[in-house]
Amino acid sequence: MPFCKGCGHTHILRRLNDALVSLQLKPSDIALVTDIGCIGLADKLFESLHTVHTTHGRSTAFATGIQIADAVLAGSALKTIVLIGDGGAMIGLQHLVNAALLNVDVTVLLCNNFLFGMTGGQNSAFSPRDFITPTTPDGNIIPPIDMCRIVEAAGAEFSVRALATQKGLSELIARAIMHPGFSLVEIVELCTEHATERNDLAGNKLAQVLESQGQQLGDIVLRTTKRAFGTIYAEKNPRREDRTTLTDKSVTPKFQSTLTRQVGIVLAGSAGERVQSSAKKLCDAAIASGLFCTQKNDNPVTQGSGFSLSEVILSNEEIFYTAIDVPDVAVVVSAEGLTEVGEKGLLVRMTPSSTLLLDASLPLPETAALVEQYPFRKEFGGDKAALSAVKSFVRKMDILPEEAF
Amino acid sequence: MTPLYKFVTGNQMVAEGAVHAGCRFFAGYPITPASGIYKTMIELLPRRGDIAISAPDEISALAYCVGASMRGYKSMTATSGPGWALMIETFQYALMTETPVVIAMVQRLGPSTGGATQGAQGDIFLTEFATSGGYTVPILCPSTPKECFELTTLAFAWAEKLRTPVILLSDKEVGMTSERIDLSALTPAETIERNQALGESAAGWKTYGFEKREDVPEFMPVGGAKKITITGSAHNKQGELKKNDKETLEVLLHLEEKITARKDELSVVSADLQDGAATLLVSYGITARTMRETVRTARRKGKKVSAMSIQSLFPMPERAIREAYAGVKRIVVAEENLHGQYRMLLSSFIKDREVVGVNKIGTMITPAEIEVAIV
Repeated sequence: MPFCKGCGHTHILRRLNDALVSLQLKPSDIALVTDIGCIGLADKLFESLHTVHTTHGRSTAFATGIQIADAVLAGSALKTIVLIGDGGAMIGLQHLVNAALLNVDVTVLLCNNFLFGMTGGQNSAFSPRDFITPTTPDGNIIPPIDMCRIVEAAGAEFSVRALATQKGLSELIARAIMHPGFSLVEIVELCTEHATERNDLAGNKLAQVLESQGQQLGDIVLRTTKRAFGTIYAEKNPRREDRTTLTDKSVTPKFQSTLTRQVGIVLAGSAGERVQSSAKKLCDAAIASGLFCTQKNDNPVTQGSGFSLSEVILSNEEIFYTAIDVPDVAVVVSAEGLTEVGEKGLLVRMTPSSTLLLDASLPLPETAALVEQYPFRKEFGGDKAALSAVKSFVRKMDILPEEAF
Repeated sequence: MTPLYKFVTGNQMVAEGAVHAGCRFFAGYPITPASGIYKTMIELLPRRGDIAISAPDEISALAYCVGASMRGYKSMTATSGPGWALMIETFQYALMTETPVVIAMVQRLGPSTGGATQGAQGDIFLTEFATSGGYTVPILCPSTPKECFELTTLAFAWAEKLRTPVILLSDKEVGMTSERIDLSALTPAETIERNQALGESAAGWKTYGFEKREDVPEFMPVGGAKKITITGSAHNKQGELKKNDKETLEVLLHLEEKITARKDELSVVSADLQDGAATLLVSYGITARTMRETVRTARRKGKKVSAMSIQSLFPMPERAIREAYAGVKRIVVAEENLHGQYRMLLSSFIKDREVVGVNKIGTMITPAEIEVAIV
């Protein structure tokens, strides 16, 4: 054992070994995923298991990936066991919570010795109140986290707190490994290098310490009512030889366009008024007519409110530059749309050879473009104004056959 | 061939490329402008019985992918600058443990949360130099939905062949702009399966075994027939954690040399050279498209100009670049970032030519802005 004399890790790893022996699992069917810290030295002690020594706190996340892939894609061949310390459990709290939420079939053995042993005995989130360490020289004033309760709250069905030296630990570990879902065994132990020197602590006092911190020993929760994530996922998503989706909705052009140059069209209106989907219809029609086409959409981050804008480029040759600095055509059907194209500086950059199709309800903006006003909103309503404006533009420009639209 | 058109975004084509390459595991976390990849993977993978899941954060997303890859399955995640910042720890772990994985990094304006819906090409350094020690990270950079598809298939091929994480460095404009593409013209990379230790070669197999430094160790999955020993700490070929012994240093050098020894093989560029041109334009990603427009416009005006789009940013395609600038006086590197990140790196080996940058942030560089740099 690579550990200091009297270290709890030695006890725990012996009991883990006993548990694995008693379960008679094939060593190649076990993945032992270890965290950073002294407990991470366990890898080399298990000579026949697959061992994955990971980064600090992330062991449970890597184990979750291994386990989900195994359960869904490889028919659940593996038992995945995580060895993590109290430091790792806190920096990787998210991963324990999420493993519990998912109920992945991963067993986490949390070896809690109240401190960071490998780096000099600093206090951890698991240190009891009044615990003295080099970084809490006057005694720790932060209460310890109760990880067993946290995973319980996240839906874990196997959460148990035990002592490293207690009888029956190997049986408990074996049960945790065989539990068909997420299991946590928090094993409380002593760091003989850093904990006992500064604190009045011995193995037989650990139960008392836990009690004084309001942390219950024994079963926190123990039941099996849920199925593991992998089982549910695999059932919901059976393997299908459904190969190609790429060619769905693909088209071979049926129409001809008379367009002989590149045109940049800006369509602006309000969210929820089908601005972007109308622009998409224009693009679909252009593509069905053999044209090159790009579309960029823009809207405020809230998506469902404010302006909605699409920039469409149609061309008879390949489009390289996908932005529109000076629109050839701007179609503006709402006040929010008008404000947006105004703020972007598009209207003032338009030239006399360009066209602004403006809803009749809107004020005339400053622009050199030829302005044409139509009562799109009044005639077709706000939600069809964009589409009717696009249709009217297509008719006017006479670059696409109307059947394509 | 009859054209088969589809109106797609770059993000959709990254997902399609991944599926084409045999990706069977995707874990995602929402972030603009990369969410389209996540959404498309959720549409594509579960219906085939493969895995696409939501992770609670980017750290978990990449860690799940690395775990799944260790179990033997091709994996990918997608993110943008802020998410990438969280992934760097796990990314380094994948590099150190020689675990294949593809990360689609769709750039947006930074620093910090920056501009979620604004494009940028400012993460060249942040991605390439994300490892302690400065290891060469293979990075592919698409400029069109077609390239998104093709370079994603290539990213998987490299990841599997070289047992390494590979970054597909896209950006908002490439990822979120819809464009007509011709499906009949797609040319995906050859699909590569992991070189697994089998039969006789499995006898003396070690997790990180190699003869020559540039060799790629044969893979064995967690759960395979041989015991594997994986660690992100410095290790010998067996995978045992070691301090600086000779073999451990060999492994560290091997991590770099397996990539750099294949520099020429990994080079992907498109050169459009013109006799008599005094300027070579160089660009990548979204600005490479703008550069193509500059070339078209300038040549129509009778100007002579050469251009090179770089798809494999790293390892840097040094030989191809040297060949391209042989006849010119000036090299112009156009990229949408502050100081010209890629230009700085090119300048480190181009000493015999004038190298100038066209740079901008906030909006796309325009064709005219590149054109004025032509001599």
